[in-house]
Amino acid sequence: MKFPFQHARRRLGFLIAATLVGLAAGSLPARAQSTADLAAAAAKEGKLVIYGVTDNEQANHLIREFRVQYPAVQVEYSNMSTTELYNRFISESAAGSSADVTWSSAMDLQVKLVNDGYAQPHKSAETAKLPEWANWKNEAFGTTYEPIGIVYNKRLVPAADVPQSHADFIRLLSTQADKYKGKVTTYDPEKSGVGFMLVTQDKQVNGAGFADLLKAFGGVAVRVQGATGTMMERIASGENLIGYNLNAAYALTRAQKDPSIGIVLPKDYTLVLSRVMFIAKGAKHPNAAKLWLDFVLSKKGQEIIASKADLYAIRPDVEGDTTASGLKKQLGDALRPVPIGTGLLTYLDQAKRLDFLKQWNAAVKAK
Amino acid sequence: MLQTLPRRAVVALLALSVFFPLGLVLWQSVLSGPFFMPSAQLSLESFVFIFEDPDFWMATRNTLIIAVGMSVIAIPLGAVLAFIMVRTDLPGRRWLETPILIPIFVSPVVLAFGYVVSLGPVGFFSVWFEALFGHVPWNIYSLASIVVIAGLTHVPHVYLYSSSALRNLGSDVEEAARLSGASPFRVARDVSIPMVSPALLYVGVLVFFLGFEIFGLPLILGDPEGHLVLTTYLYKLTNKLGTPSYHLMAAVATCIIAVTFPLVLLQRALLKSAQRFVAMKGKSARQRPLALGPWKWVALAVIALWLLLTIVVPVSGVALRSVVSSWGTGINLLEVLTLDHFRAVFEEDVMIRSILNSILIGTFGGALAVGGYLLVGLATHRKADGLSRLVDYIVLTPRAVPGLMAGLAVFWVFLFVPFLAPLRSTLFSVWFAYAVVWLAYGMRLIQSALMQVGPELEEAGRLVGASRARVSLDITVPLIRNGLLGAWLLVFMIFEREYSTGVYLLSPGTEVIGAQIVSLWASGAVDVVAALSLINMLLVGSGLALALRFGVKLHD
Repeated sequence: MKFPFQHARRRLGFLIAATLVGLAAGSLPARAQSTADLAAAAAKEGKLVIYGVTDNEQANHLIREFRVQYPAVQVEYSNMSTTELYNRFISESAAGSSADVTWSSAMDLQVKLVNDGYAQPHKSAETAKLPEWANWKNEAFGTTYEPIGIVYNKRLVPAADVPQSHADFIRLLSTQADKYKGKVTTYDPEKSGVGFMLVTQDKQVNGAGFADLLKAFGGVAVRVQGATGTMMERIASGENLIGYNLNAAYALTRAQKDPSIGIVLPKDYTLVLSRVMFIAKGAKHPNAAKLWLDFVLSKKGQEIIASKADLYAIRPDVEGDTTASGLKKQLGDALRPVPIGTGLLTYLDQAKRLDFLKQWNAAVKAK
Repeated sequence: MLQTLPRRAVVALLALSVFFPLGLVLWQSVLSGPFFMPSAQLSLESFVFIFEDPDFWMATRNTLIIAVGMSVIAIPLGAVLAFIMVRTDLPGRRWLETPILIPIFVSPVVLAFGYVVSLGPVGFFSVWFEALFGHVPWNIYSLASIVVIAGLTHVPHVYLYSSSALRNLGSDVEEAARLSGASPFRVARDVSIPMVSPALLYVGVLVFFLGFEIFGLPLILGDPEGHLVLTTYLYKLTNKLGTPSYHLMAAVATCIIAVTFPLVLLQRALLKSAQRFVAMKGKSARQRPLALGPWKWVALAVIALWLLLTIVVPVSGVALRSVVSSWGTGINLLEVLTLDHFRAVFEEDVMIRSILNSILIGTFGGALAVGGYLLVGLATHRKADGLSRLVDYIVLTPRAVPGLMAGLAVFWVFLFVPFLAPLRSTLFSVWFAYAVVWLAYGMRLIQSALMQVGPELEEAGRLVGASRARVSLDITVPLIRNGLLGAWLLVFMIFEREYSTGVYLLSPGTEVIGAQIVSLWASGAVDVVAALSLINMLLVGSGLALALRFGVKLHD
């Protein structure tokens, strides 16, 4: 179904390029031209509906700048949880139409939607800037580069205890099990899709160490939570002392307000999660959606993501502490971004998922 | 015979509003996937799945423990409380009536959150207690704590029913017992309370059945140690398989309904027998309060302790948490005082919208709901025919459906009924769900108001040739306008308190505080939860203040 459309687009692009070459113009104006075209078409649509899991406060920084650049497009942003987003999107799509763009950190659910044919492709100068693992079939795009770390309470955890790697963390839990009993927290993989995804990535990346990790969790009777915020709250108050697999982007935001929060990015390997965005196949405002996607991936958009929205920029040409390039300077090869692709679908298989949960529960709930 | 048409229309609309969403739930439970997906087929696999899931049985066991445990705690306490308040000369009784009923109107999520910040491992009171005595002897996240808190917060329900039964009893038997030397406690145990046992049995079934629908307390308190109940198990299924498991959720809801619906019917049967029993005893109306003597200090201490535990501790926790930026071990609260959380609430459009929506749904929505209930009430008023009996059952049905699932069903209705679809992301969908979920409660308020109109007044109207509609409009409704005002205020408070029904209906434009708190709690935005909780309590509180100002009786 989508092939004739793509052909048409390509032919149109060729036509424009040819015309411009005929006018002796460079390739730069050609791109500007197409963005301007997109902007004009988007202005005609006048509206853009986004479902996202990013907090309103953070998303608003992007939306505000987008509105400055394209005042003719009204942006309606709805913030919800990852599961809500998925449920709402499929049920609304079944009933007619849903959001134009979805933007979620549940990378596996986003890939599933794209895999099930809910997305439409988009190719532009901005999408070309993405690393290869962050662009799947030109339909699903990674927009951020958020490292996953270990978060601890600075008031109550002595500096000598602070683990610098996964191995350190496992050693700390097994040698000081009494001290940390009931004081370690992590995602509940049954409640949080993101938590599930991270811990299954651990299993793949950590290999042999993973069994030790589960055993260590069991030994300290790990406390599980459904969301980062709940874990952060418990760590800040001292009810828990160390949190495992927390999104460092969130922790950083909290640490700016709360001096008791400390963050470590493990030196052996640090998982990196990327918020996946795609344009709905049935989008009512497809041009506005494309314009928005390009904006988020643009240098300006990525700078806002890094500096104001407290997420991490994925575009390699954006500099700073909270960017992919900044992290590379700090951690080098230890960074393990989760590639966007069919690999993420493995554990959406019901039997495999329940199997893993069983293994998790058996190890973690053991006394 | 012109009036039969509107009457039938009202009943048909009512039946549709109740049975269509319910039917969707039952239908969904026997499908293999979401009902709107083409791949969904008729299948019982959802039931097979949950019956094979150890979590389901754990949740069932916990639910039973909670339902039994809270009945065991709430019924004796509530009955004793009613005895003290109604039959004795306890000083300050009039003043105590209102605080006793407050737990009914405070949102359970707010209460549960209050307990976490007050009595949690590093809660305000826990930290103070630890500083004084060295250690904290309680664990707020244990199943036992949930049972105790659920029990304590349901005392008012028992109090309501047993106090109104006690009011209808003559005091001669009690006086006889007292004169022969029985202590007030003995009088309560051996004379007064046995005499209202039908009312107690009724409320016992009610509390037991509320135990099956309890959601906010175990959602927040049961989470850290993984104590699931059926409703939180249902909620958890949203995520467990990674993708939505509507069929599994519907199967759990069906199991809950299979237990609660018979209980609702049992309640109905019991209510009838209880009323008969009370009516026979209610002839000798003269009552003399029993002198408590020195026992009054014991009674006062018990009530004070209960109020402290069920209201003061959680509410003060919420209030304190809403004005500090950080809390816990080693924090000097004076150094972290802040109004930032409220600033954050009032800076965000979504939060402002949820506050405004909550007010709207309580005031206009409450009035609209009372109007709807009134129509149903008038349709069956003084008409003891088959249609009225049918309405009786229809009205009771939504009581058996957990609010969480009712909200989801209403979401589906608004998604797939074409002419309703444009209303889905408006407050109307939330209002509709609320009005259906609280149908039984609202109808009881309306019916008790209608009962107070003497039949002779309406008959007089009929005699001079007025139609039924005219009689309703010119005689019945004006006569019960005070009752309607009271119903409106009570519905206002209940709508402000509601939280689970809105969870799945939450979308831009339909935010209400209760559902917003559940959603924000899941995402961990505790600062904002605290501020919103306090605002929610202020809203309920102002409803309560108005109700008291207008002399609305908080119960019938």
